[in-house]
Amino acid sequence: MDFIDYYKILELDKSASQADIKKAYRKLARKYHPDLNPNDKSAQAKFQQINEANEVLSDPENRKKYDEYGKDWKHADQFEQAKQQRPQGGGGFGGFGGGQQQYSGNFEDDRFSDFFEEMFGGRAGGGAGRGRATHFKGQDFNAELQLNLKDIYTSQKQTITVNGKNIRLTIPAGVENGQTIKIKGHGGPGVQGGPKGDLLITFNILNNTNFKREKENLYATVDLDFYTALLGGEITVDTFTGKVKLAVKPETQSGTKVKLKGKGFPKYKKEDQFGDLYITYQIKMPTNLSAKEKELFQELQKLRS
Amino acid sequence: MNLEELIATEELCTKYRVEHTFIRNLNDSGLLEIITVEKTEYVHCDSISDFEKLRRLHYDLHINLEGLEAIENLLRQVKKLQKSNLQLRNRLNLYE
Repeated sequence: MDFIDYYKILELDKSASQADIKKAYRKLARKYHPDLNPNDKSAQAKFQQINEANEVLSDPENRKKYDEYGKDWKHADQFEQAKQQRPQGGGGFGGFGGGQQQYSGNFEDDRFSDFFEEMFGGRAGGGAGRGRATHFKGQDFNAELQLNLKDIYTSQKQTITVNGKNIRLTIPAGVENGQTIKIKGHGGPGVQGGPKGDLLITFNILNNTNFKREKENLYATVDLDFYTALLGGEITVDTFTGKVKLAVKPETQSGTKVKLKGKGFPKYKKEDQFGDLYITYQIKMPTNLSAKEKELFQELQKLRS
Repeated sequence: MNLEELIATEELCTKYRVEHTFIRNLNDSGLLEIITVEKTEYVHCDSISDFEKLRRLHYDLHINLEGLEAIENLLRQVKKLQKSNLQLRNRLNLYE
């Protein structure tokens, strides 16, 4: 367990006054408060360090102990015994008297560092801000789930682990990239008999297919050879669920769009309804023409002019 | 509207030790919706996490109402940009 320099965390030197500590704490709390830094885990970690540093340094008694033992904090008990100054009960390293300002936040984990727990014996109660931290509901937990586009074509059951707990959930087909779903009651415990918080899962959908997806519609570009485009014919195209045969009209132009009804993606929470697949033809011109082919094309050209 | 999903503003004031004017000011600024049922004012339970956030910013960080409005707008933009960033990163994965 490493020594933590609380002064450094609050960007202060050891001679800082209580007013300086308060000012520095307020300034840094405004910068790193989790409510102002959504989805920023580094800001959250920094904010917890700042809270911890403030809890120690803003209390003169704890600050004195911290200053006195500093890097030798591991031997603090022995020093205390030697000096025979250990007060009864909750004194010494027994924790905080409370009363300092402590900012609260919506954390996934508000534990203090091992260093803090070891030195001060755990966090004192009521540290969430001037006694106003009575909450009905527990904290909301945030999680991110990465899935492939193919995985969400049908609804599926998955088990995820959040804070050591296995949670079985059904992911509805057609869920959107970046969409967040709320699972009620799987967050942190409520306070004073309040309900548990919620689990918020954000989906990160990786599209490693040849289809572009926009909600329930899919888009794909299909190469069409020159002769089929000109004379018409039948081609086989890939859809999300397999191959289908498609009739191509004669004289089809490059960029022509064809809609395959119902061959798109399932609609979110309406699994029996599907979007459409839009195919754009890209005509491939013949290359490396032989002399004979060139001659025939020139003849065709003459017929057209 | 299901009453079980509503929390009386009076109860909020007691539990969170906030002044009623704070809740009313949030409502006036469009930051929190107050629902009135038979002359009693309520807040929907889904708005509680937003209310808690605004309370923390106001009372803990001493941010006034105008500041809260500005923060809400900026946070909306941050979230929008984060979402767009995620989508662009996913698209980029296709070419990597």
